[in-house]
Formats: sequence, structure tokens, C-alpha cells
Amino acid sequence: MAEITLDTVSKSFGAVKVIDDISLTVAAGEFVVFLGPSGSGKSTLLRMIAGLETIDSGRLEIGGRESQNLAPGQRNVAMVFQNYALYPHMSVRENMAFGLRNIRMAPDEITRRVEEAARILEMDALLDRRPAQLSGGQRQRVAIGRAIVKEPAAFLFDEPLSNLDAALRVRTRVELAELHQRMQSTMIYVTHDQTEAMTMADRIVVLNDCRIEQIGTPMEVYTAPATRFVAGFIGSPAMNFLPVQIEGSAAVLADGARVPLTVAPEGAAELGIRPEAVQVVGPDEAVVTGEARVVEHLGDRTLIYAVLPGGAEIIAQDGGRSTVAPGDAVPLRFDTSQLHLFDAAGRALPAA
Amino acid sequence: MIRNSRKESLIAYALIAPFVAIYGLIFIYPTIDMFILSFQDAPLIGSGDWVGSDNYTRLGRDRRFGTAAWNTAYFVALSVLPGTLVALGIALGVSRLSGRLQALVLALFFLPYILPVSVVFRLWDWTLNFQFGIAMHLFDWVGIDRVPIFKVTAWFMPAVAFVTIWWTCGFSILLFLAGLRAIPQEIYEAAALDNTSRWRTFRRITWPLLWPVTALVLTIQLILQLKIFDQVYLFSQGGRPNDNLVMVYYIFQRAFVNDHGGRAAAIAVVLFFVVIIVSVLNFQLMRFAERRQ
Repeated sequence: MAEITLDTVSKSFGAVKVIDDISLTVAAGEFVVFLGPSGSGKSTLLRMIAGLETIDSGRLEIGGRESQNLAPGQRNVAMVFQNYALYPHMSVRENMAFGLRNIRMAPDEITRRVEEAARILEMDALLDRRPAQLSGGQRQRVAIGRAIVKEPAAFLFDEPLSNLDAALRVRTRVELAELHQRMQSTMIYVTHDQTEAMTMADRIVVLNDCRIEQIGTPMEVYTAPATRFVAGFIGSPAMNFLPVQIEGSAAVLADGARVPLTVAPEGAAELGIRPEAVQVVGPDEAVVTGEARVVEHLGDRTLIYAVLPGGAEIIAQDGGRSTVAPGDAVPLRFDTSQLHLFDAAGRALPAA
Repeated sequence: MIRNSRKESLIAYALIAPFVAIYGLIFIYPTIDMFILSFQDAPLIGSGDWVGSDNYTRLGRDRRFGTAAWNTAYFVALSVLPGTLVALGIALGVSRLSGRLQALVLALFFLPYILPVSVVFRLWDWTLNFQFGIAMHLFDWVGIDRVPIFKVTAWFMPAVAFVTIWWTCGFSILLFLAGLRAIPQEIYEAAALDNTSRWRTFRRITWPLLWPVTALVLTIQLILQLKIFDQVYLFSQGGRPNDNLVMVYYIFQRAFVNDHGGRAAAIAVVLFFVVIIVSVLNFQLMRFAERRQ
């Protein structure tokens, strides 16, 4: 269990900057998720912490020890790879023991650790098999076991669930969260899947375009996105964005409809509102009326894809037994406690 | 999809028929004929008398056959294993390079392989020439007495083995390189995180994962080098061909110099079985070792 600190860390591949001046502290025992679209630099950042990519400038501390120039094996971290990266010619037992034998650990201590890890991951029966004889989920367990036996200062996960099928992914997600509860170790987890990030993280680091967009707990990132990118990236279906003019204490939509605001910076802005805050109401309560184009019944709720009079598209949410049909006029009300405003540069403005 | 399996197999037979016909005519038929010929006291062309196993029993008393068998075994020992190790070493080096540089270096190592044997012979005959060869200047410089390499029996086989390795290892390098590229980079990254030293990475990761390719290269080399002829024939010119005899050379002598078709066929049959037994044995041993690892 150790704290990991990145201090103004940068990296380029040739002329292309892939990590731009990132500073970040992961507290001891914390589960931090790096979330971002592909190409955002999240995997590169993880690999820089692991030592698989060099750090061009800046400082990396793992457990208080300056580590940016140490070999991967000396950083006392363990990594679980997307494709598991098991040694195909070794049995499960040898796969897990290999790293320990390399540092000449006493054989009975190796046996104890391997058996302990096998017990935690419920794979005692698999110890003498080769990776080729295991299913994808079992291979993933072995990869996690190989990390556990090292008792490292931190665990690094590089999209570990993306090669599993949907059902197994959900189960393994829960198991990983349990593992973190039990081991209380520092974990950094890279994913592009916002559900994984929301469900497992103590804190989420949202990365985009080589930079950190926002760091916060899942609920902070969800309810108070710092930028338009974060607002649009997190949440499914995605947040609605409507161009507005702010006049006095209201945001004016393209068709003239007014959404009341309490804080009001003047000028043009973009109004962000999540589908669950766009409610279908009776005609007299409506702020604006749209025309339904597509209606998706999800059982517990219904998503209505509508077009507003000004031509803007909006997704509204209604109850599971909604009777709205395509072509209907839908009166909509915005929940003013869940409004977000963004300026032209995409930064969040104080709103609502 | 509905398939007419009878029609499909008819088409299949029709398509492979030309190959089978040619294969039968120029491989199966001559092979069978060679077996028959080996039991006859026959010239190369024309019929001969049936002599039973005489041609085979004579081989036991034949001193030149003994020399040929010994030289062939000696040559195989000098070329197969060292050649494979050299190719592995070069492939490991080349695989560390990247991009155009790797392509260039690989091309340089592969270049000798595309040369015809006559060019290889000319090149090395000049290089090792007693009077003018570059190698002799090297000898002078190091302080070794000049040797007419291909005229001295002790030097002949090692020199031919050296030239053969130089000539053919490009292909083995290519096979090894393909094998190395098939090992996922992530495994090396996992090994780096597992504190694996460079030697242990090679010994415990690269070597075992490359084992199937090594077995293949060894088997190909073994078959190829058991059939050595061209280099020995060319380098023996003006030297001592009878001391440098190898199996195929001896077959050539018996058949085309002495016109002993039957006796030549008997030697060929012996070589045929040696190649089959040695290569099958080698491949099985390799697989056994692989399973035990």
C-alpha cells in the first residue's frame, strides 16, 4: 500500500505530445480509475507509472521513492494486462511463482503466497493447467493472481475486462471491487467504460487529449462536470447540450423559451441538461414543447428523442409506462437543480 | 447451402490429377526403380543381372563408403548445430533493430542465400586463395602460417562447413525472426515487471517459446546438410576428392564416373533411409523435449 505522486509529467512520441504536464496524487489504498476515450493517453500514463514507457520530464514517486528512472521490476508495482500476457509455456502455478523466483524468494514462502492467491481467487483446481487450457475469465484470474502474489505497493490494471463477455465483465467487476475492499491496496485502473469507472472508483481521473479534464469522486464527476467534455462523456444516454443566450436570470433557448437560472453570467453559452432532468409534463407546466421522433422503451424508463422548435435535438426521460408515441408533441420541463452551463471554451460556469 | 459431395470430389480429383501424374512420373516411379536397381549389377543405362543384396553387403567392406559416411557425419556435426546457433544469435540481434535499419541488416544477412553455389565457390575460393586470398593476409597479420585450406584434409571439412553456414544461415535467420515476432510484446513487459534479468528472460521466456521454430530449423538443416554435395565437389577440384568424399559425392562417382548404376543405387537407398530415420528421430526428440519442459 503506497501513495503514488505524479509531478508535471510529460511524454512525447517523436513530435507528438501524448502526455502533457500531468500532476496527480493517488492516495495510499485508493482505487483510482483513469477514464477517457481511446487516444486520450490513459494507457500511456499507466504504462509510464509501470515503467514500460519512459517519462520524458517530471517526477514520479511510488511510496515516497523517486521512481521515474527505475526499471519496471524495481518499482514494486504489479500490472494486469488487457490480453493477460500470461507465459503460455508455464502452468498457472509457475506463472504466479515466476516473479517471486526471480527475486530468489524462499520456496515455502512462494508456495504459501501462490496458494493464498489461488484460494482468494478460487482457482485452486487450476494450478497445474496451462493458460491455453483456461477460459478467458480464468486467464484473467491468473493474471490477477500473478499480481497479488507479489504483494506490491500498487496494482495497475490496463483495461482488464475488455476481452471478457458482458456477463463475466459485470461479475469480475464486482469481484475486483471486493478484492480492493479486502486488500486495501492502491489500485489504478484504466478503462474507457464509464460504468466500470462509476461503479469501482474512489476517484475518477477523466483524461482527454493528453490532459486531465477533471479529478473527482464518481458523483462529483457526474453531478458537477468541470468541462463540457466530461459532461458529455459521462452518463448514458449522454447529456443534452442546447445553445442559449443568457438574459437577466434566465437562459433563452433558440425558440425564445426561457429557463430560469439563479446565477446568471451574461452572454452566449451552452446549456447542459441530462435526460433524466428533462421530464415529460402536462402542457401547462411545460417550458418548451418538442416533437417526439424516436421512443425507446427500456422497461424501467422510456427515452424520448425529440426535436425542439428551434431545431435542437433533445433526449427526454419518461416513466416506464410512458404513452408517448413518435410524432406526438411532448411538453417538457427542465429540472432547474440539474442544469449546467458551459462557456465557449467548454469550461463549466456556475449555474442553476 | 446444398452441396453435391459426389460432384465436389470428382472436381477435386480432376484438379489434383495433373500434380499426381507428374509427381508419380518424376518422383514415385524413379524412386521405385532405384530400389529395384539397387539389387542389380547394372550400368547406369541398360539392364543388369539380379544380384540380390550383394550391392549392400559390399558397402561394409568398401573403404570409400566408410570415408563418405564418416565425412558426411562430420560435416553435419560441423554445420547443423553451429549454423542454427549462429542464425539464432543473429536473429536475436536483428530483432532488436527496428524499421528500415532492421530491413537493411536482414537483407545483408540474407544476401548470401540467394547466390548460386558456383558464385559462393568463386567468392571463397578467392578469399581463401593460398597466394592472393584476403584471408591469408589476415593469417599473416595474426601470425599463423599460410595454409592451402582446400588442399589440406584437416582444414577442408571445417572450411566447407563455415562457407555453408555463411551461405545458408540467412534462411534460418528468417525463420527465427518470424518466431521471435510471434512472441507477444506484452509477455516481455510482464517479464520486465516480474524482475526478470536479461539472461533469464532469454532462458525462461524466449528460448522455450522459440523451441518449435528451433526444432524446425534443426530438422531442415539436418536434411539439407546430409545431402551435401555441390560445395564439396567444387572445392575438391584440384585437391583430394577421395579424402573429401561425402555420401552424395560417392553416389555421383559410382554412377557417373564408374558407371556402376546398381552400386550407386544401393548407396542412395542407404542415404534415403538415413535421412528419413535421422530427421524423424530428431523431430520426435524435439517434441518430446518440448512436452517435458
